[in-house]
Amino acid sequence: MILPDFEYRKAETVADAIGLYNEFAGNVRYLAGGTDLMPLLKHRLSTPAVVIDLKGILDLSTITAQDGWLTIGANVTLFALKQNQTIRDYFPVFYQSLEATACETLQMRGTIGGNLLQDTRCIEYNKSNDWRVARGFCLKMGGKTCNVVPGARVCLSNYCSDNALALISLSATVKVIGPGGERAMAIEEIFSGKGSKPFALEPGEILTHIRIPMEKSKGAYEKLRVRKSIDYPLVAVAACLKEDNARICVGGIGPAPRVYDLKGLGTDRVVDASRSTYADAKAVSNTTLSPEYRKRMAGVLFRRAVNKALKEEK
Amino acid sequence: METVNVTLRINNELTTLQVKPNETLLETLRERLDLTGAKASCGMGSCGACTVEVNGMPLRSCIALTVEMDGAEINTVEGLKEEEKLHPLQESFMEEGAVQCGFCTSGMIMTAKHFWIETLRPPRRDHQGALFQCLPVHRL
Repeated sequence: MILPDFEYRKAETVADAIGLYNEFAGNVRYLAGGTDLMPLLKHRLSTPAVVIDLKGILDLSTITAQDGWLTIGANVTLFALKQNQTIRDYFPVFYQSLEATACETLQMRGTIGGNLLQDTRCIEYNKSNDWRVARGFCLKMGGKTCNVVPGARVCLSNYCSDNALALISLSATVKVIGPGGERAMAIEEIFSGKGSKPFALEPGEILTHIRIPMEKSKGAYEKLRVRKSIDYPLVAVAACLKEDNARICVGGIGPAPRVYDLKGLGTDRVVDASRSTYADAKAVSNTTLSPEYRKRMAGVLFRRAVNKALKEEK
Repeated sequence: METVNVTLRINNELTTLQVKPNETLLETLRERLDLTGAKASCGMGSCGACTVEVNGMPLRSCIALTVEMDGAEINTVEGLKEEEKLHPLQESFMEEGAVQCGFCTSGMIMTAKHFWIETLRPPRRDHQGALFQCLPVHRL
């Protein structure tokens, strides 16, 4: 499939990139690894006048441990993160989610910033332009109906980042810089909960750093997919255990991940919490597997992840 | 659309090209340089038939822009053989008959090169991320 016409600019610094954003009046897309953006462009789901390459911003390509935080630049590739010994030792849930992301060739290309800010996906959305014109535009494309659930008023596409779940369970924070200045927030606050516009970021904002508190943790990541070598999660659970508390994040269903904080890890408590995932998971038939199966698997993976993390502790 | 000058080292030969910003590396290799070893298949970065090696790492060239590659060192399957001698991987693919129609084989070899030779790790099918269903995978 051929890419649409656009201009290409390379930014050397974050200020540079924001300058370019202003220069082209916002009709731009930021490019990092391109593993999410290029298919979107090919499908004409995004048609920017200019693509701004952020890979040249060297400040965002480092991993540093300082003052009790591990700071990861948004340009670090998933493959490079996997080689990092601190991540292996301190954040097993993050290591496992990196390992579970796509395949290794794509991990070498994809960056952590791009992985977090990937667009939500739907079986009726990620299609070629011709296909979508024939079918009729859905809510996420600016149409008036949902093509999956007739009569739905909001978009129910799925957010499919593996690493966001792990980072939420690790209580990570992110730093974003935009035309309006710089701000930091907990990672779960970047989600708007709306499938049609999944991120609560201001126009032109760039995710620059991810910070994880440096505390040793136990964790596990469980993911349901059809092809073990590559697929996006159809439902996934990240569990991070610190002493007697657990922070568990369920994703792959709906436009934003869902967080569960558990105090005490008795079997009853875990089973109860895993049952509530069934009710919470608003799965609809917008993936290759049936919504009922995915809902049930949310609870199964929940228990599996917690048990795996607990076993590791012994 | 304005064009951009890009200098690439492809199979150890320096080449300077004028490309459009929206040209993928795969299009450049196949249509301008006649290096048709990398194949256009899914076009979405899923299947891996377009894999080439860029700066020592395998890359899916159908979702990478040529303009991003300025100054990069690119190796394609055409550059694997030394003089007239095939690369050991190519030899073993032939010996084992790990080819059915052969369309995806060049991408397979370029991916395999990294995982089997450069990192000296045992091959794991679920790692490789190459999706070729017709192929006699057990022979790989």
